[in-house]
Amino acid sequence: MNPSRILVVDDEPQIQRFLKPSLAAAGYEVIEAVNGAEALKFVATQAPDLVILDLGLPDMDGKAIIASLRAWSDIPIVILSARDRESEKIEALDLGADDYIEKPFGIGELTARIRTALRHHGRRDAISSVMDVDDLRIDPIKRLVTRAGEIVHLTPKEYDLLLLLARHAGRVVTHRTLLTSVWGPAHGQDMHYLRVFIGQLRQKIERDPTQPQIVRTEPGVGYRMAEPD
Amino acid sequence: MADDDRRDVRRPDPDALLALTEKDHRGKLTVFLGAAPGVGKTYAMLSRAKRLKTDGVDIVVGIVETHERSETAALLEGLDVLPRRRISYRGRMLDEFDLDAVLARRPRIVIVDELAHSNPDDSRHPKRYQDIEELITAGIDVWTALNIQHLESLADVVAQITGVTVRERVPDIVLKRADEVLLVDLAPSELIERLRDGKVYLPESANRAVDRFFRLGNLTALRELALRRTADRVDDQMVDYLKQNAIDGPWATGERLLVCVGSDPLSEKVVRVASRLASGLNAPWLVVSLERADREIDTAGHVQRIEALFRLAEQLGAETRRVIGNDFVEEILKLARREHVTQIVIGAPKRAGWRKHLKHALPEALTNRAAGLGIHIVTPEGPSGERMRRPLMIPKAQAWRQSALSAAGFVALTVLLGKTIDIFVDLPNISLLFLLSVLGASVAGGYVAAFLAAILSALAYNFFFIDPQRTFTIAAPHEVFALFVFLIVAMIAGGFASRIRQQAEVAGLRATELQSLHDFSRKLATTEKSEDAIWLTVSQLQSRLKRNVVFLLPRTGDLGVAAAWPPDTDLDVTDLTAARWTHDKREPAGHGTGTLPNSRFEFRPLLGPHGIVGVCGVEHAAEPLALNAERMLSAVLDQTAIALDRARLADETIVQAARLEGERYRDALLSSISHDLRTPLATITGAVTALRELGERMSAESRDDLLKSIEEESGRMSRFVANLLDMTRIEAGTLKPKRDWIDVTDVVQSAVERTRKHAPGHIIETSIATDLPLIRGDSVLISQVLFNLLDNAIKYGGREPVNVYARREGKDVIISVTDLGKGIPPEDLDRIFEKFYRRGNPDGRAPGTGLGLSIARGFIEAMGGKIHAESPALKKRGTRIVMRFLGSEEAKGSA
Repeated sequence: MNPSRILVVDDEPQIQRFLKPSLAAAGYEVIEAVNGAEALKFVATQAPDLVILDLGLPDMDGKAIIASLRAWSDIPIVILSARDRESEKIEALDLGADDYIEKPFGIGELTARIRTALRHHGRRDAISSVMDVDDLRIDPIKRLVTRAGEIVHLTPKEYDLLLLLARHAGRVVTHRTLLTSVWGPAHGQDMHYLRVFIGQLRQKIERDPTQPQIVRTEPGVGYRMAEPD
Repeated sequence: MADDDRRDVRRPDPDALLALTEKDHRGKLTVFLGAAPGVGKTYAMLSRAKRLKTDGVDIVVGIVETHERSETAALLEGLDVLPRRRISYRGRMLDEFDLDAVLARRPRIVIVDELAHSNPDDSRHPKRYQDIEELITAGIDVWTALNIQHLESLADVVAQITGVTVRERVPDIVLKRADEVLLVDLAPSELIERLRDGKVYLPESANRAVDRFFRLGNLTALRELALRRTADRVDDQMVDYLKQNAIDGPWATGERLLVCVGSDPLSEKVVRVASRLASGLNAPWLVVSLERADREIDTAGHVQRIEALFRLAEQLGAETRRVIGNDFVEEILKLARREHVTQIVIGAPKRAGWRKHLKHALPEALTNRAAGLGIHIVTPEGPSGERMRRPLMIPKAQAWRQSALSAAGFVALTVLLGKTIDIFVDLPNISLLFLLSVLGASVAGGYVAAFLAAILSALAYNFFFIDPQRTFTIAAPHEVFALFVFLIVAMIAGGFASRIRQQAEVAGLRATELQSLHDFSRKLATTEKSEDAIWLTVSQLQSRLKRNVVFLLPRTGDLGVAAAWPPDTDLDVTDLTAARWTHDKREPAGHGTGTLPNSRFEFRPLLGPHGIVGVCGVEHAAEPLALNAERMLSAVLDQTAIALDRARLADETIVQAARLEGERYRDALLSSISHDLRTPLATITGAVTALRELGERMSAESRDDLLKSIEEESGRMSRFVANLLDMTRIEAGTLKPKRDWIDVTDVVQSAVERTRKHAPGHIIETSIATDLPLIRGDSVLISQVLFNLLDNAIKYGGREPVNVYARREGKDVIISVTDLGKGIPPEDLDRIFEKFYRRGNPDGRAPGTGLGLSIARGFIEAMGGKIHAESPALKKRGTRIVMRFLGSEEAKGSA
């Protein structure tokens, strides 16, 4: 199998300087772009499998790049961002970016995000088979959730929530996405619903609801379900 | 659905609830209502107060007249009685109610007897009910007492029953707004008995009136009035209760009255009748005055009477409005439709003699044209009726003389002209010539002249031109007819012409007024500062009103005189208090108003779109302001208020913009710092984790490159941190450079060497004059500055050599660093010394911290030197940074 090709879009030369050898050592082929125009061109011409995108580019807004990419491509996009640009990050995710990672980051974390994004690519809608996380088992065909063999009784909304997170296991799902898919488009801002339901869900599925291992909080952004075993 | 509907219907009326909550902030008014003096109102009030006092309620006596009656005086014992205000009034010392004492003491309940009392002249309010209103607004509950005959709307009824005209009157609205009305009742026979026993106090002067007043019939009638009023109130309360609690009931009458008044004496009666009607129907009522559009130039008396009438109507709880038009019936019906009026009240003055038949009376015309409206017609008192002559119709003697003169003049001229023409040609229709003279006279002299000219013309025509001439007899019968027709035509034409003339005059006057207003507003629009706007207004008002004018603006919490004409106008305490009242309550005060009428000025609030912006005082004169002056004044004040408001907003915008700018600057600073720290950190973290996790799979070359980038980024971070610290020291003012004598050559050399080590391979050329004096400064700081400058020059200078010059210029020593890069656009030459200003990525290398030059400036200026940038430096390229220091007196000699 050919190595996956990754397009790194970042205008900081020093970031490019360490990412290239590191990703190459992790088994990826790396293409570099230093601005938005180049990024769009390379996605079209070099057929990368994934884009790592810094949101702060000199020539155009990172969000605009995502929007124009999403108009014709479903290539996985992982965002590099800073913590003080929280709203920007959420907007980018809502625009169709797959995941994000905050600077500064360890290379292990980055490669894990890349792997998840690549794996989900192409089967983004449904999990059809049974999924095991921790000691939790989700069976989407029987609509059955069990923990350590015992049936977990979930309300329809809780089940929808869990299934949505499971479908994106390993990736972050924004509050907005969760709210609009489970409650409908009119409830995009009703954060309190979400907090209450996530709390109830954790009570039922987590080993220790005070230290959740399955549904983790991404502060200010959304929730991320642990990768299946 | 049905459920929802029902809920909707049973929802309480929001207006009723709102009125209730507004009431909560105000104090409560309790009125002890009696039919006549002596029924025991004060007694009832005080005994109730005593009961509350023993329960521990904070209740005090503001003022109570015991009239030296022992039973009442005994009740005062044990109650807190506030001291009174001693004032001298017309040579006598009076004890008066002290409003400010109550406001300062702030009891929960205060007893203020005699609601209808009139205050002496120097008081804040002329009437006691106004004092009480202020107490209630301040949140203090008030108990007071009132006899029914003092109620404004009953004044005429009481006068009719008792034959005594009551002077001290209380507007009905006071009683209507009272939260509680307690009727103190006593049978009339018992009251008369008490009177005989001397238990009722009455002033001696009133002794004669007493016999007329305290008759069984009178007292019974008054008692009935009091009882009925109280019953009406109870009914109102019931309706309010039903509304608040959404209980269905036959409470909404939906009636609305329109009351038409003029300046005639009957109108006052119309208002009182309408008031009683409205309160009986529990309906809102609107009082409108009818004025002709062409009767603008009017004697002030008319306007004044209407004003007085409006005040009365407002006190009785009506809304008031002016209607100006020519077709009164049409205007009334239009207004009635717009305001959803159901009933119209109008007076029908008895017309004297021939005028009765002249044209349709207004009430009659209304009845003919109004559809679906109830019309109440109020007629004057008595069968004979007072003479309802309109006083304004009689022109003054001088006007008569003028009219007669112009009429006679025109007619005489026509006779001459006619006779002259008659000599040359035979004019068959000489009457047309006379018609011309009537028109001329009416245009020149108005109605009266037209009328006189018509009659004179008829006579002259007959005398001079109709055969037999030189007599008033007429030979041919058809000539009689012709003369008669001529007279009628002349009168009608003259009437029209004079009306046109009047309208043209009015239009001209209005045009002048409008022009002046327009000029004013145009000038006002160009003013930016509030002082200019105010001075403009003052001069406009002064020149148009011919009165003294003063403007007050709020300044640091208190009102101050901002402008006045004449400029040295002084305001006394009363004036200032009235002005403050106007400012705080946003209502007129001072002369001619209900508040502090003793002031020389009438103060009006200037209300802009965002609240009160100032107060304008106009000094009063013998004549009240004419209607057009009044209108001009309010238009000018409105415009000034808007201009002042705009000026204030502009000031606020500037402050706001400065704050925003500051915030934006801080944001940019923070994001710049965080970026500068994060990028090297990200590189270091990424490289370290990559080496640890993937190091085995990398080539030795890659590993080396990663290590090198770690080293470089660490260096960059430490430089940035050092720069930040330097910057902080400069900004905090803790930078204390040494003041050593420094040899420029040494400093330049050390900086150049350090730069070469840092950036090997770059050419740095130095050229240092040999006759340089020593300079004062801190060698470490100067060396740091030079290093920063050289670093920049290398970064932006491409591969070209960098030059360092040091030379002498007069007493000064100049050190400059020059690169041959792209240079800097002239508009950026100053900005490069700003913090975090960066001119993009110079080459593929890491960008700088954006602090180097601002630190350089901070350091150099702290040492007393100067620094600036020049570009282009050489051959239309490059940048030169020039530093200038003051050298020591003597040259140090050759190096």
